[in-house]
Amino acid sequence: MKYALFLGCNTPTKVFQYELSVRWVARKLGIELVDIEDMVCCGSNYANLDIEGSLLLSAMNLALAQARGLNIITVCAACTGTLAEAVEALKDKELRARINKKLSAVGLEYREGSKVKHFSKVIYEHIGVERIKKEIKRDLSKLTVAPHYGCHYLKPKSAYGGFDDPDNPQTLHHLIAATGALPIRYETLLLCCGGKTFPISQDLTYSLIGMKLENIRKKNVDCLVLQCQSCYLMYGTQQKNLSEKFSEEYHIPVLLYPQLLGLALGGDPTTDLGFNLNVPSADKLLETIEYKREPLTFEVQKVEKIEDEGVKR
Amino acid sequence: MFDEAISLSKLDSKFLLEVNSHRYGRNINACFACGTCSAGCPIHRVYPEYNPRRIIRMVKLGMRTEVLSSKHIWYCSTCQTCKERCPRGVGFFDILMVLKNMAARDGFAPPALIEQARQVRQSGLSVPIQEIWVNKRKELSLRPLQGAWEKAARLMEISQP
Repeated sequence: MKYALFLGCNTPTKVFQYELSVRWVARKLGIELVDIEDMVCCGSNYANLDIEGSLLLSAMNLALAQARGLNIITVCAACTGTLAEAVEALKDKELRARINKKLSAVGLEYREGSKVKHFSKVIYEHIGVERIKKEIKRDLSKLTVAPHYGCHYLKPKSAYGGFDDPDNPQTLHHLIAATGALPIRYETLLLCCGGKTFPISQDLTYSLIGMKLENIRKKNVDCLVLQCQSCYLMYGTQQKNLSEKFSEEYHIPVLLYPQLLGLALGGDPTTDLGFNLNVPSADKLLETIEYKREPLTFEVQKVEKIEDEGVKR
Repeated sequence: MFDEAISLSKLDSKFLLEVNSHRYGRNINACFACGTCSAGCPIHRVYPEYNPRRIIRMVKLGMRTEVLSSKHIWYCSTCQTCKERCPRGVGFFDILMVLKNMAARDGFAPPALIEQARQVRQSGLSVPIQEIWVNKRKELSLRPLQGAWEKAARLMEISQP
């Protein structure tokens, strides 16, 4: 199982724990992730100003992966949507010819047939829930988890070949249950994080984030689990600001799914999965599953005599 | 604004055609104003002034200036619920993209997006290259992010709208 890894712009520069845990889980499960040097922004925000410019950016990434004979794994929900929709749009011969004319200026060409899959989708379809259950090394059964799918992971369904159901999604619930933790259903499950609106209007976005966190807080979960770094930047990084703005105390840990999965597969939260980088802190969650830092396994030996060369003048 | 009668002389009858002629606006005429788009929209939910159904109506009436100069069209969170649920395949999200492109060409665009686009044209990344994350990646033993700085710049240069 070999894929080109497409990280996007925000994961590798702001949400390092997502990249760390994706790489760790992929290595553990035998998914080979190939890093392609020249990859650029998927173009999702660029589309607001120039749709065809955005398609060009997407096509460049697809062409780069294609040149190595690879399909693409994405970690950001928006990148998944943008690249998958580009694949759909580029089925149009005339558009493809126009885009390829420009790509030729940098020595690239896009042919039809690329596939773009979100990391969770690859785990769900190619690894499967049954295999995950067999490889569990840590007991997460004490955890109750609120899933958040990420809008672009589900919609538009037509770009994803009918994968999952935007109105009653199932796959992340199954993936969480496979780790031993209990996923819940809640009223604002389908609510968007507002990540794309944040740079335009913080107030609007805080209303959306607040709605979800308020709903989840009442359910007494151990954490919120996400599949997109953009959602993390909203629910996690902005949680403190939101608390201040609404004069509320939110202390809901926010994890990315590969962190939860990695935890179940026996990964070390700090050295393998970047838990120390999560805000708010996930310490309470680690206490709940009785995670103890491994004691030192070597003994300090008593030194009888020190031989040294003295200080050289 | 909404309690005034609409003056026919201020309407632009070509606005709808302009939107419709774009690939992403090709289904706007299928809309029969059922309001499913507005009903599912998260932005409309917390800010009812923002109303997808109304925006389509305004396009069909030819209210070019009001629509393209409006701050509303930039609030979309791109959740795609409207596109997913529309019973007519109109795809409000796509239509909004066309409107945003037209507005940008007319000189109306949020500074945040203009800056991001400038960044992409320069380096291929939509975030600026900063020591803080370059160093953090080194600290965490993550590979340095190369990015096709020159290739992307070249590509975006020849594709200026």
